[in-house]
Amino acid sequence: MSEQKPKTRTWARWVVLAAILLGAFLFTGFFGIGLNIKPIMPEVFLPGEALSNTPIFGIEGFFITNTFWGMVGADLVVFLLAFGVYRGVKSGKMVLTGISGAVEALLEALQNMTEGTAGKWTKIIFPWFATITLLVLAANWLGLLPGVETIGLLHEGHGEYAVREMNFLGMEFSTIWDDSAEMAADAHGEEAVHAGEEEYHGAAIVPFFRPVSTDLNFTFALALVAVVMVQVIGFRALGWGYLTKFWNTKHFFDKPIFGFIDFGVGLLELVSEISKILSFAFRLFGNLFAGAVLIFVMGSLVPFFVPAMFYMLELFVGMIQAIVFGMLTMTFMAQATQSHGDHDEAHA
Amino acid sequence: MDLAAATILGKLIGAGLAMIGAIGAGAGIGIVTSGAVQAMGRNPDAAGNIQTNMILGIAFAEAVAIYCLVVALLILFVF
Repeated sequence: MSEQKPKTRTWARWVVLAAILLGAFLFTGFFGIGLNIKPIMPEVFLPGEALSNTPIFGIEGFFITNTFWGMVGADLVVFLLAFGVYRGVKSGKMVLTGISGAVEALLEALQNMTEGTAGKWTKIIFPWFATITLLVLAANWLGLLPGVETIGLLHEGHGEYAVREMNFLGMEFSTIWDDSAEMAADAHGEEAVHAGEEEYHGAAIVPFFRPVSTDLNFTFALALVAVVMVQVIGFRALGWGYLTKFWNTKHFFDKPIFGFIDFGVGLLELVSEISKILSFAFRLFGNLFAGAVLIFVMGSLVPFFVPAMFYMLELFVGMIQAIVFGMLTMTFMAQATQSHGDHDEAHA
Repeated sequence: MDLAAATILGKLIGAGLAMIGAIGAGAGIGIVTSGAVQAMGRNPDAAGNIQTNMILGIAFAEAVAIYCLVVALLILFVF
């Protein structure tokens, strides 16, 4: 009997949670319909949008962007996780519980993966793998919180939607909404009047937060860090001999044809190191940015229920991309530590 | 047709054409996964190792599709 009771309680908790979620879901849905807010397709910007017009440090074209705040958010999450785990470890318990237990399980899986690939270099390579994975995971999942990419400043002058002032429970805010139907009706009646006027401009929302992985600057910086550290670890493992991977003249004279082919392959390795940077950067950026656009489009087509499915997909994609970024870094580092004779080929 | 409409038309057609490259990546990911699943069926003990390498292979194959996607996004939202 004492075994049964907690079980029913957890079951009931899920039912209550589901009921709350369903209620919130229906309420917000009907709230929107009641206020006559139609689902719209937000304006999509590829670069991070600047939140103010004053450049920081007085440098031209150097603004605080919304992806910067996404970065700060991801950093905060990683720091809090670190402090939580530190406190958990300091408490002296052998078996960690709660968040620190979850982080321990994740890191243990990552370390096992590293040990399988990198062998004795695990201690040096693992921190890079874990740091990149945790940071990218936090950055990706922060973008799925409600309010991210939807709450922000109103920028008038670009965009195609009208501004509407609203008042809800004493809070005043503005929203953009689709008035294309009314505009069309207007234009139909007074076509002659509108013809001479300037082009119609509406407003767009510049969100306060945007997941940092949708900014090419972040993914490129992370890719540079990863690839540069691959070279550093290669030098550390093999010394100057690491360079023979790229400038391979070992058999240039004693085996004329194959020596020459080896030399060409070495030069191709150099190209592949550079293409690794591009491939790292574009993989993360492309996946996450496409995910954001996908959610925009689905939300504008079917505002009910369907976006939830795509949020689930994005949860999965965010995790996979974080692990893939870290795992590729780890694999390249492990390859760099192996001497030229026994490394196997992999091209990004 | 005025220039603005022609620009939009060109952008949309170009973005659509750019995504043709995703065909190869789709086939590649399918082949990778099929091979990995067969290997796991033959040797279930090595499933973890195979899965790691499968995800790596998928990531390499997917990179090509992502290049296409980035080109399409650039055409749509930047130029």
